[in-house]
Amino acid sequence: MIAEGLLYTKDHEWAKIEGSTATVGITDYAQQLMGELTYVELPAIGKEFRVHDEMAVVESSKSASDVYSPVTGKVVEVNSNLESKPELINDDCYGSGWICKLAITDANSVENLMNAKQYEEYLKGL
Amino acid sequence: MFEQPQTAGAETVLYQEHIRLTDKSHIVDFAGFLMPLWYSSISTEHTAVRQKAGIFDCTHMGVLEIAGADAADFLDLITTNDINSLAAGCAQYSYILDAAGNVLDDIIVYRRSADKFMMVVNAANTPKIKAYLEALKNNRIVIDPDNPGRKLKYKSVIRDMKISDSKADCRVDIALQGPAATDIIFSLIENNRIREEIKNLKPFHFIEADLTVIPAKAGIYGDIDCIISRTGYTGAKIGFELFVHPVKAPQLWNILLEKGSPLGLVPCGLGARDSLRIEAGLPLYGHELAGQFNISPFEAGYGWAVKLEKEFFIGKTAMQHRVKTYDMKVAQIELRGEKGIRPVRQNDGVLNKNGECIGWTLSCANAGEKQVALVYVNKESAKENDPVGVYYLARSQIQIQQGKLQSVRKGQNLQPCITGTVVNRFAKF
Repeated sequence: MIAEGLLYTKDHEWAKIEGSTATVGITDYAQQLMGELTYVELPAIGKEFRVHDEMAVVESSKSASDVYSPVTGKVVEVNSNLESKPELINDDCYGSGWICKLAITDANSVENLMNAKQYEEYLKGL
Repeated sequence: MFEQPQTAGAETVLYQEHIRLTDKSHIVDFAGFLMPLWYSSISTEHTAVRQKAGIFDCTHMGVLEIAGADAADFLDLITTNDINSLAAGCAQYSYILDAAGNVLDDIIVYRRSADKFMMVVNAANTPKIKAYLEALKNNRIVIDPDNPGRKLKYKSVIRDMKISDSKADCRVDIALQGPAATDIIFSLIENNRIREEIKNLKPFHFIEADLTVIPAKAGIYGDIDCIISRTGYTGAKIGFELFVHPVKAPQLWNILLEKGSPLGLVPCGLGARDSLRIEAGLPLYGHELAGQFNISPFEAGYGWAVKLEKEFFIGKTAMQHRVKTYDMKVAQIELRGEKGIRPVRQNDGVLNKNGECIGWTLSCANAGEKQVALVYVNKESAKENDPVGVYYLARSQIQIQQGKLQSVRKGQNLQPCITGTVVNRFAKF
């Protein structure tokens, strides 16, 4: 499942751009691969990331994966519900399973992301 | 060590059923076979086996036959347990070692008659064991370091029961585990005498009988000849392994699911297989046996399956030494495991109550709200009910940057990240 209107990375993160804020999370493809998530390590508020910096860690009983920042920006809000309910990512990865919000500090960093159609094509090639 | 020949990924005979039952993204290459990690979810499947029943594709497991007038003597020499105490209709847990005492595999030997045995070996080890047995039969390996000229003179025939040369008595393994398993099998048996035999079957006993699909439909086998064995790898008090012809395996799988679903039967993948066996304290080759620590049956807690009183078996000299010198053991610990608790993983440090590292995690899984781990620790430490701690190794770049260690040594003093308790291994569920 791919949500329209979001932007995507090759590492299966998504970003929803609203003005200069990006809400980010991992895609349905990624959560399917991970299985039931049991733990999410959230970034600290105020932390700055460049595109592709490790931003968070998601763990299931079978594996641990880094989540990379899809944009360059500064963390302004984190979804602390995930600390006790990591399964929100399994249940609703594009909605209540969002990971954090970043204030975009380099608008150009958004330009290399894929749209929904491009991401769909990308998944077909995997 | 005897080297493992490489194998390529292959579909099991149940592959078509798997891709009907679950998304292809859940299928992984395990021991050279394409198998589902889960169908619905690991926790659902784990719970089903504990409360109702689960069915597992074990057709990837190796099934070998050793037959002939001297088969028992041959097996007694190449396995650590006592074949002569094994009666027909009974099964025995055992080990195959090399002459240096390395564990080549843990196996179950089924005695079908005085001179006919079936041996079930781990999928990942099957090519290695087949090559090893052939090399032994042809006297291409030193079997006794104390007597390098010692030769084998056996005429037993070793046959791979999974390949079609085995014809009608070809066999692959499907496991049916959990409290509802007997009732599910009964739905395929009309004969009261056979029902009674299955009901009274003790652990590690088996019978050979036909399962009957009622009513018979066009294009399906009415009778499915099976070896029905009270064995398994889940710790379930009631559980069976059904050894069936590979051509009939998909039908048996489907009919069991059809008859069993109303009784709570679900298909279970590799994930639940692992979490169930960890909860039951059972070893997995490469983790709690052999592997990076070269764990022998003694450290693993299965010294009883190594009969040092036997006159000879391959690896005996090494085992006589190991039994006197081993100083580590496999133990089981329990920790909190509700959602939001970071999972313990292989090689994480195990700490005593003073924060001293006494060993490492071998395997860990979630069982309900708990995490259960099998750990490798100093033999004299970690007694039942002792408090323990676990130090999480770094598993991401962020954690490395935070200064988390990527490996730990015994004796190191560390701050526990999570605490738990040593529990009694080998509980039955």
